[in-house]
Amino acid sequence: MLRMEIALFLVLGFVAYSYFSAEKKFSQLHSTFSMLLAVVLCHLVFDGITVYTVNHLDTVPLFLNNTFHRLFIGTMILIFYLFYQYIAILVEEETGKPRPLDGLARVYLVVAELGNMLLPIHYAVTPQGNYSDGIHVTFCYLSVAFYFLLGTGLLLFNWKEIRKKEKTAIAIACTVELIVTTLQGINHTWLISGMGITLITLAFYLILENPDILRAELTEQKMSMLYLKSQVNPHFLYNTLDTIRIQAQLNGDKKVAELLMHLVDFFRLSVKVDRAMVTLDDEMELLEAYMELMCYRYPELQCEYDIDPNLGGAQVPNFIMQPIVENSLLHGLKNKGYRGKVTIAARRVGEDQLEIRVQDTGSGFAPGKLEAVDKMLHFYDRQPAKLTGNSIGILNVQKRIKLLCGREYGLWYTENEFGGVTAHIRLPLAEESK
Amino acid sequence: MKKLRVLLVDDEIMIREGFKHLFDWEAHDCLVVGEASDGMEALAQIDSLKPDIVIMDINIPIMNGLKVIQCSRAKHPEIAFVIVSGYDDFSYCREALRLKITDYILKPVNYEEFGTCIDNLKIALFQQQSEERDEPGEERPIVGITRYLQEHLAEEISLGVLAEEFHLSGQYISQLFKSEIGVNFLAYLTNIRMEKAKKLLLSTGLSIAEVSEQVGYGDYRVFTKVFKKAEGVTPSQYRRDFLEDSK
Repeated sequence: MLRMEIALFLVLGFVAYSYFSAEKKFSQLHSTFSMLLAVVLCHLVFDGITVYTVNHLDTVPLFLNNTFHRLFIGTMILIFYLFYQYIAILVEEETGKPRPLDGLARVYLVVAELGNMLLPIHYAVTPQGNYSDGIHVTFCYLSVAFYFLLGTGLLLFNWKEIRKKEKTAIAIACTVELIVTTLQGINHTWLISGMGITLITLAFYLILENPDILRAELTEQKMSMLYLKSQVNPHFLYNTLDTIRIQAQLNGDKKVAELLMHLVDFFRLSVKVDRAMVTLDDEMELLEAYMELMCYRYPELQCEYDIDPNLGGAQVPNFIMQPIVENSLLHGLKNKGYRGKVTIAARRVGEDQLEIRVQDTGSGFAPGKLEAVDKMLHFYDRQPAKLTGNSIGILNVQKRIKLLCGREYGLWYTENEFGGVTAHIRLPLAEESK
Repeated sequence: MKKLRVLLVDDEIMIREGFKHLFDWEAHDCLVVGEASDGMEALAQIDSLKPDIVIMDINIPIMNGLKVIQCSRAKHPEIAFVIVSGYDDFSYCREALRLKITDYILKPVNYEEFGTCIDNLKIALFQQQSEERDEPGEERPIVGITRYLQEHLAEEISLGVLAEEFHLSGQYISQLFKSEIGVNFLAYLTNIRMEKAKKLLLSTGLSIAEVSEQVGYGDYRVFTKVFKKAEGVTPSQYRRDFLEDSK
């Protein structure tokens, strides 16, 4: 039987490695699972040792046998307590209700561990193998049953409020607990407790704690923090700016008023982020407001538009132009002290496509950079989820185009003959925008 | 021409100040006679001052702007209301159109372009009067001229053309517009062209270029620009917004 314990240990060892090396959100649930993993690994070691010692009663001193047996059962009780604890935290997260049974579970843990240390152990010797029986083991079964009832109770009482995935995990855990304990109770020589514990731990790992879920949680957390940062009510912002604009104009400062007007326009337009698709007109309006401000900041910066007005109603993904132009400014024209020109053109290609080009007279790509950008845009869906950096803007544009318009559309860059680069955006032309 | 009396309603003092001082009321034959900062005050002011024009913010305390208009419409059917609305209150605008608002403008208000709005009011007022005053006998020259304009929108029209057609001097015609309607000739022409364009955009499936041609703009780029300046949206946006609204 020792082979099973070794196999289980290796499986959980691998799980533990993958779990502990993954970056995860700090939460009570995850720390409970970490503790559980650690205790289960120790338990499997004691399990293996006990399987050996209990079958060598004549060669291993009784004192050692008892010690390992108590360690084996002690960690097992702790594990079932942790199973319960994990389920309780999960239920609390799902329902938002506090955990009323925690005190009871902890008191019982102390009682059970004391019993494990003090009660006498009796070994039964049979031709199929040796095992322990008597009051000590009965007490152990009692503890498992106790925590099983607590966990099952939590599940059944909150059945409707728990989501399907969490429900599945808890139900699997409880079922395995019941089946394995019953089987072990009937066939004392099977010694399958280690298997049951491994199965339950694996169920939690695979359903609730696997690396994909941990990563998704982490990204969500970071995103929500970014989101919070941008939670200044935009209406407050642009209403205030508008008040300042009027005051400036009242004071006779036309230039400031004009700049503020553009800024107000920019905010007003960028507030409409709730729509996935907007018209090209809307996009251009936002871009013009942005460029007016940039051109004022950098007087030697020029901007030229060449938009086919019949395309004004074309549906394009929201907020794709500004990031591309900003990218051209920051990576092309900035190196030239913002001296140069950005040309934005939109034209129909063939019957049902639209191409937008953003051409700059900037410093162009450094050697090898075009290939790198090409590669990044081509494998846009395999890029690690970065939340900062230079390429995040254009990568995001690429992702949204592919998602909203289809994989055959998208963004790519070419180098201009006389310096600078051109961004090309190819989009579908919907029927109504003739 | 009699000066038009204007009442300003907005809960933000700065916006009222902006209207008062940044727009040249004098040059547009208008006079700001009062201000109000909430719905109740607005109602009281409308009753006591009897203004010709009310510039009305929608989102005001106690009673919103639309309610105020509803309440005073019955008592004072002749008042022209100009709604000033935040961009995101566009749903209000739809309701406003049902209340027969004379015009609406979007915040942030560009005071220099507010003149167009006043011109539109005057033209609407003039058209309303000439419909009512359908008296027999000698027709006033301005009525003939405006009718001629309406019928020849698609053509190239200038004061010179009108002068030839009506055997009057261009300068005299220009003065007629100023004295009879209160706006200059070009503003009038642009206004009726835009009105026609809006009708065409909503009632026909003509392309933007075709609409542009029918209302006298050879180059649709110019048309789009003028339209955008007058309506705040491009022709295609205008058509789309309306179609979306009526769904």
